[in-house]
Formats: sequence, structure tokens, C-alpha cells
Amino acid sequence: MKALLKLCLMVLALCQANPAAAHAVVTDYSLKMQPIRANRPDKVVITFNSRIELGLSQVFLVRKGDTHELLKIGNGEKQGQLIVEVPALEPGDYAIKFKVFAADGHLTEDVIHFSVAQ
Amino acid sequence: MAGIADFLDSLIGGLDLICFCLMVGSLFWGLFVLRPWERQHGYNAVHLDTTITLLYKGGFYLAGAQLFKIVLKVWLMTAVLERWPFPEFASTTQFIGGAIRTVLALAAAFYCQHILRAHAESKAHWIAASLVTLPVIISGAWLVHAAGRFDNRVMLMSLTVAHQLAAAAWIGGVFQLVNVWLLRYRGQIQADLWPFLLKRFSIFGMASVSLLLISGAPIALQYITTWNGLVGTGYGNLLMVKIALLSLALGLAWLNRNAVLAYGISGDPSHLNRSVPYYIEAETFILITLLFTAASLASQPPAIDIPSLTANWQEVLGTFKPAIPRTTSPTHTALIAGEAGRVAIIGQVPSIAATEWSNYNHNIAGIFLTVMSFFAMLSYLKSPAPFLDRFFESIKFWPFGFVLLGIFLFFRSDAETWPLGPIGFWESTFNNGEVLQHRIATLLVFVLGVIEIRARMQSNQNPRLPLVFPVLAAFGGLMLLTHSHVGFQAKSAFLIQVGHTAMGVFALILATGRWLELKLDKPGKDIAGFVSVAALFQMGLILMFYREPLY
Ligand SMILES: [Cu+2]
Repeated sequence: MKALLKLCLMVLALCQANPAAAHAVVTDYSLKMQPIRANRPDKVVITFNSRIELGLSQVFLVRKGDTHELLKIGNGEKQGQLIVEVPALEPGDYAIKFKVFAADGHLTEDVIHFSVAQ
Repeated sequence: MAGIADFLDSLIGGLDLICFCLMVGSLFWGLFVLRPWERQHGYNAVHLDTTITLLYKGGFYLAGAQLFKIVLKVWLMTAVLERWPFPEFASTTQFIGGAIRTVLALAAAFYCQHILRAHAESKAHWIAASLVTLPVIISGAWLVHAAGRFDNRVMLMSLTVAHQLAAAAWIGGVFQLVNVWLLRYRGQIQADLWPFLLKRFSIFGMASVSLLLISGAPIALQYITTWNGLVGTGYGNLLMVKIALLSLALGLAWLNRNAVLAYGISGDPSHLNRSVPYYIEAETFILITLLFTAASLASQPPAIDIPSLTANWQEVLGTFKPAIPRTTSPTHTALIAGEAGRVAIIGQVPSIAATEWSNYNHNIAGIFLTVMSFFAMLSYLKSPAPFLDRFFESIKFWPFGFVLLGIFLFFRSDAETWPLGPIGFWESTFNNGEVLQHRIATLLVFVLGVIEIRARMQSNQNPRLPLVFPVLAAFGGLMLLTHSHVGFQAKSAFLIQVGHTAMGVFALILATGRWLELKLDKPGKDIAGFVSVAALFQMGLILMFYREPLY
């Protein structure tokens, strides 16, 4: 019976994968109100529902063809706010992909889609 | 590898809670139920020693789980961020709090192993043991959801600790009851201690369940503020699962209590010795699942934070709506052709073929389960006519359906690999985590069928073999409850999760029902068995009507 339990635990451990499940979620982001204008650097403010450990978080710009570029991030004025520095972009579709470490210990990965107009 | 690390993280969360219950619950058990300093009950040395052994082992395992959590987090971060997470990680609450808790748990466990054990009958030492455990309990506050909140942080942290304490008092007490029963079964304690402790625990158990509800309700109200939040988010859904499991466990506790009361009136211990231990075993199954559900609840965003991603109740009910099962599959070529567009981040094209492929797999699996469980339910009836005798004799081998299902899944679950796709069998099995999981799950279903058929053969005399089925089914249920789907938007993922968690609860009913069927006498035996296969039938229906959102 003991060996069986051990086997079950092993199987159980292998039978799972759920990277997306996590706790920190975006409650607001500035792109909703102020879209990025073409061909000039800009800043995007993302607000989370939890405090974020800046040093353990990464934000990427994803371009057409799914190429990733690491962006510079800083803390916002309020708790749970991240300021992301976006380089000058040509008109088109983009995404911001982030991996953030929330203060309660959960790593979250998610994507925000946006477009830059002419 | 990040997938496995992340899963292990939620698994270790459940184990951590189990160890916590074992340690803290055993302490409460000693202080309030056993009360070893009251000489008149005549506890013997073996009894006291096993009680305290459970207590300090719980403490050592808790320290181990806490340490393992930190190691896993480091592994997970290294994999996800693709770099070593220090020195930043060293200054987080998670690292500091986790490290402090590990040391505190070690110290408390060490005290109990060396000092409390030597003075097991001294009230002063039990009180001292609770004082050294107190910091372990309090330090947990920094490691829960509430620690990352902006509003009502202190109140939420305190309530969560109270909630954990109440759960530990009850669940740890049930673990101790199992221990008392084993001692009684082996004749290592006086026979009258079993009803005596059952009775004392029954009052204590009611008190802890009340505290559980009183501390849980305000937390739930903080995190879930609307009805749609309760039915339409992963957080609310898992909370409902917790409530369902709690009700199941309380139902069994109620049966126990009735047996104890009946014994008090009649003095006939047969029920107390022939049913109650098995109810308690089944309750243990359920409570352990409950703890794992609690751990995976902690990785869901609270409903209050995701109003725009919340489904309404019509959408939730829609996932259970009967529909004609899909019995034709898109071609393999069409499926492969849609994959690139489906996984793209920019310019994503939903793949109809992928959705239909998945629907077909789920629906056919559902047909397997409904047909099997239909025969299983028939097997509880008496053969109505002599010419049907042979048929009724043979339908007890209904688990053969699991063997067929395993074969079906082997061909269908990973379309890009051998035998349907271009990637070789071994190559895909060991290079892709997801394929490996599917292969193991498939093998599990297949083996489950083979073992259960062997267990049902007349020639088989191994009394342990039939127990494999409920144990594996319970693990399957656990997987469904702690599992969430990758690659979906939160709302779609949730709508899939609803069906899967419902199946998880039914899988647990299947497991506990079968367990009780194997252990109880008639008529309880047949009732439990029928409920068990009826739960399997429900799982079949959910799968048969499964419709995946287009993505
Ligand atoms: Cu599924």
C-alpha cells in the first residue's frame, strides 16, 4: 500500500502543468485611456491587484512574428503599479507580455494586446 | 519544466496544509480531547507515544514542506525568468517568512519529540508545547493571500490564521481518531476508550467546524462580492467545491455522531466498530482533498479583482447543457494546419479543428463512461429472468471499459506524435512535458481497468487489490480539482474548469463510495456502491456534453 501511494504521488506530480494559474491580475492599464502614439517612445502604466516584486518581474514587447524584447520597468506612484517604458513603435499590432512575482509568492504570466494607430 | 515546478508548488501547498493540521490538530487533540493528565482514563504508554509521534512528525514534515516550497520557488523563478533569482528573492516576504517558519517549526517539533514525549502526562508540558507552536501558527499569516492585499490586510491575515486553526483542529483530530482506531483494532488500548474518545471529539469537532465557518465567511465576503463572482470565477467555483466537500465530510461526521449517540442509549458497540471506522476513513479521504482544494484556491485571483473576466450564471449552466455528442473528428491534417495560428501571440487565429478535435475526445470518453457506468448500475439489480443470469454475471466486469478508453486516449490525446503524427513515440514522451503527462494519464486509465478486472476475478484472493481502484480514483479527482487549463483567456479557462471541478467532486464520490462498498456490511455496502457508480455516470454525462470554447 505504501509503495502504491508513492507511485500515485509520482504520477500525480507528473500529470500536471498549470503555469497560467496564479494570483496577480491586472486591474487596470493606461492603454485603455491613452493609446500609444506612433513613432515616439511612451510609458504604459499597469495596475495589479497585489504588490509586485520589481526585481523578480519581467515585461516584454511582442511584435509581429512573436519576437520578444525586454522592456525597462519601474514602480508607479500607487502600490501594485508598474511603469513600462515602450520604445518608438510603428503603426501595427503589438502585445505586452509580462511575468510578475506577486508579494504573496505567486508568479503570473499574461498578455495585454494593443495596436498603434497611424 | 516550469509547468512541473508550478504544479509541484500547488501540490506542496496541499501537503503543507496536511502537515500543519497534523501538528497543530494533534496539539489541540492532546489539550482538549485526550487530556493525558486526567489519570482516571488510563491511557497507556503506546497510546500517548503514537499521539505525540504524529504531532512531532507533523512538525518536521511541515518544516520540510516549507523548505521545499522555497526551493521550488527558486527553481520556478529560474525557469520562468531564465536567470538566478538572487539576491532579489532573499528580500521578499516569501523567502524571509518561509525561512523563519521553517526554523520555528523545526524548533517546536524538536521540543515535542524530546521533551513533551518524555513528559507525556504533564499538563504543564502540553501547555509549553502549545506556546512553542504558537509562533509557527502566527508566522503563517505572512505566507497567505491576505499578505499581498492593499485593503484590510491585518484583518484578513488574522481571519485566515483563525480559519487555518479551526481546520487544523478538526482535520488533525480526525487523523488522531484514525490512529485511535488502529490501536483499538490491534488491541493495544482498552476497548472502551474508542467510544469515549469518539464522544469527546464529537463535541470538539462541532466547535471547530463552527469556528471554521465563522472565520471563513467574512474572508469569502471580502474576496467575492457578487453572485456572479461566486458562480462565474475560478475563485468562487473552488469555494463552492470546498463547501460541497465540507458538506460531504459533515454528512459522514453526522453518521458517526448518530452511531455514538445510539451506542450511548443501547450500549451495543457493533455499529461503532463495524461502520464508524470506515466512515472516518472516507472522511479522511474527503478532508485531504479539501486541503488540496484550499491550496489551489490560494493560487486563484479573488473574484473581486476580475469583474471583467467573470462569467454569468447562464454561461456557467451552458457548459452543462445537454447536446448531441460529437462523434466525428476533424482530419488530422486540418488539426495540424491550425496549430501555428492558434498559439501565436500577435494575430492569433482560433482553430476550429483544435476545438472540434478536443470536443470529440471529451465526448467519446463521455460515451465510454456513461455506457460503462450504466452497466455498473445494472449490476446492482437482480437478474429478472434465468436466461439473463449469465449476462448479469458478466456485467460486473464493466471496468473493461477503462481498458478500451485507455487505448482510445493513446491514439487521440497528442495528435502531433506517433502513431498519428510525425514525432516519434520516445522522442515525444521524453521531450515534451505535456505529452508525458498525457501518456502517464492514459497508462493510468488502462492500468486501472486491468487491475480492477483482476480484482473482480473469482480466482483472485488478494484482499488489497480491490482497494487500488478507489485510491487511484481519489487521486484522479484530486488532479481534476487542482488542475487548470493553460493557454486560455481567464474566462474560457474558467468555463472549462467548471466542468472539470464538477467531475473532480464526482470522482471523489466515486472513490469514497467504492471504498465504503468494500468495507461496510449490507445494506450500507450496496447503497455506497450504487452511489459510487452513479457518480461515474454523472462524470460521463459532463464529458459527453463538453464543448470547448473556440480559441
Ligand atoms: Cu479536459
